[in-house]
Amino acid sequence: MSRRLFHRFHRVAVFLFILFIVVPFIPLLLWSVSAGWRWPHVLPESFSLRAWTYLFSPSSGLWESMGVSLQVAIVVTLINLLIAVPAANALARYRFWGKRGVEALMYAPLVVPPYVAIMGLHLTFIRWNVTETVAGVVLAHLVPTLPYMLRPLVISYRTLGFQWEDQARMLGASAWARFRHVVLPHLLPGIAAGVGLSLLVSLSEYLLTLLIGGGLIRTFPLLLFPFLNGGDPAIGAALSLVFAGMTAGLLITTEWLLRRCYGDSHRTQPF
Amino acid sequence: MKKRMIPLLFTVLVLVLGGCMGPSEGTTFSRSLLKKPWEEVVKQAKGTDIRLYMWGGDESINRYIDEWAAPRLKKQYGVKLERVPVSDTQDIINKLLTEKQAGKNKGTVDLIWINGENFHTAKEQKLLWGAFADRIPNVKRYVNRETPDIRLDFGEETQGLEVPWGKAQFVFIYDRNKVKNPPKSMAELKEWVRNHPGKFTYPAPPDFTGSAFVRQALFETTGGHKQYVRGMEDERFNRKAEKLWAYLNDLEPYLWREGKTYPESLAKLDQLYANGEVWMTMGYDAARAAGEIRKGRFPESTRTFVLDQGTLSNTHYLSIPFNAPNPAGAMVATHFLLSPDAQLTKMDPDHWGEDMALDPERLSKEDQARLKNMDRGEAILPSDKLAKHRIPEVPASVVNQLEKGWKSHVAKK
Repeated sequence: MSRRLFHRFHRVAVFLFILFIVVPFIPLLLWSVSAGWRWPHVLPESFSLRAWTYLFSPSSGLWESMGVSLQVAIVVTLINLLIAVPAANALARYRFWGKRGVEALMYAPLVVPPYVAIMGLHLTFIRWNVTETVAGVVLAHLVPTLPYMLRPLVISYRTLGFQWEDQARMLGASAWARFRHVVLPHLLPGIAAGVGLSLLVSLSEYLLTLLIGGGLIRTFPLLLFPFLNGGDPAIGAALSLVFAGMTAGLLITTEWLLRRCYGDSHRTQPF
Repeated sequence: MKKRMIPLLFTVLVLVLGGCMGPSEGTTFSRSLLKKPWEEVVKQAKGTDIRLYMWGGDESINRYIDEWAAPRLKKQYGVKLERVPVSDTQDIINKLLTEKQAGKNKGTVDLIWINGENFHTAKEQKLLWGAFADRIPNVKRYVNRETPDIRLDFGEETQGLEVPWGKAQFVFIYDRNKVKNPPKSMAELKEWVRNHPGKFTYPAPPDFTGSAFVRQALFETTGGHKQYVRGMEDERFNRKAEKLWAYLNDLEPYLWREGKTYPESLAKLDQLYANGEVWMTMGYDAARAAGEIRKGRFPESTRTFVLDQGTLSNTHYLSIPFNAPNPAGAMVATHFLLSPDAQLTKMDPDHWGEDMALDPERLSKEDQARLKNMDRGEAILPSDKLAKHRIPEVPASVVNQLEKGWKSHVAKK
């Protein structure tokens, strides 16, 4: 490809990025500081920091909820990794009796509407005595997030035969060394995708958190949803911006961490 | 070996988890608290925490609870109030239903903001603690529990299971600069709409406010609300409602976009009004217009009006669920929230702006003066004017009949 053509492509890509990712944030930002925005004005007629002042007042409970949300999402994602790596290995590379059934069960949360399952889940959790605890909320979040972690990992495992591991074994690598230096680098793109999805799904979960957490485990959506429902566009917009910032920050951090830990040392280019 | 282990492990997991299941233990709360003298309740509540589950989508309401009420409750009674924001109270009713089913006798909700359908469900499913309204001194002193708009919650007898907290009333909202003489009845409204084609419309039911507007029209075209208060069988209702459909269909060609389409929500209608496309909007909240002016959404010249024959009003309530962990604290908090000071402050548009649940005539001389001198701005009608034009809500069955009928007689015609 000639250099000029590349530059042109680059420009188009940057333009599209701005159009679809950055532009939608502009009205949000304007809404969050508007104190009167009526048609046909392109810009708000007057500005106020009412929404932001409220967000940073103790009444909003913003900081606590951010902490809880991050804590839950990260723990959920780590547990998902522990479950999904071996599960994906089994589902992608082994044959065993009942495999179809296990697979269907694992992916069920993707197709079964959450409302159907939620009551049974709540009932069971009450009997287990884990409602109103962070542990209970984490356990509940595993249900909708696990398939999102599993799917990319299964695909990663499918493209990995046994030959590389066999070769490593012949060269004397232990089981852990084979996993660490052969399997893991290959899985990295899948892990990155799964971790991102798992974090996102957990961060935006509402009803499960409300029911299992009983309103005591207050994640970010618990704060945000009433405002979106109630029609205070300024506070809704401000909260949405904070939420987007938090999510983006988390995703960038995890990507950076993954890249640092594995990406460079193995010269794979997962991203 | 590995291949066979997985389904086996899975089965074991299911069995182990299943084994953990069993009825959860919890303390059954006797309702003996309802027989104890008030001093005892106050003593028992001191130093405890309660959680109030309520809709959390309004900054000024949240602030009223967190910044005004909670610190004072703590100071006066030693009860710490924690507000739990809720998006839809129905979710909490479902939570309670499941807890009841699971036999969970120690829940998380001490106090809940409730009315209408949710109260109906809660009462039917026995999700509420007991008839505590009679036990609250401020309720006995200041609330007139005999008026139908307090005794009946959307046609359902409250039976003391909930305590009135505030009142909402249907009002029409208009721009004074454009509408010189706002109509006083549905007949006058029709006249006005004919003279100003395209400047009026209403949200399509089942939108909450649009549905209320149609009820309002039903009462005025068929001879008053009283006949509907206990519900009405389909056949008789359909005969009655013919006049209503005729009225609404007469109106249709003069509505916004010639009635070919209706705004699907109040938010849409508000937007039309804010943009000046229509000259009136409406709302089930007498103070809403004032709030929208303050937020800069509605023009300064916005005012409200009610109809001579009255507009719909409903009361919303506080109630204690069957498995409240701290009913004594919840009773004391209710007592505090029903005090004249708390209610008058709530009425102040700087705090919440909503009408109080107390009977103004039962207030002390000073409080009556405070009520009279309260400046709620010109966009809120004076409270005695609102109070004189108040008619109670009708049961959900009538609402359903209307919404179904509107679809087939007005929308699809």
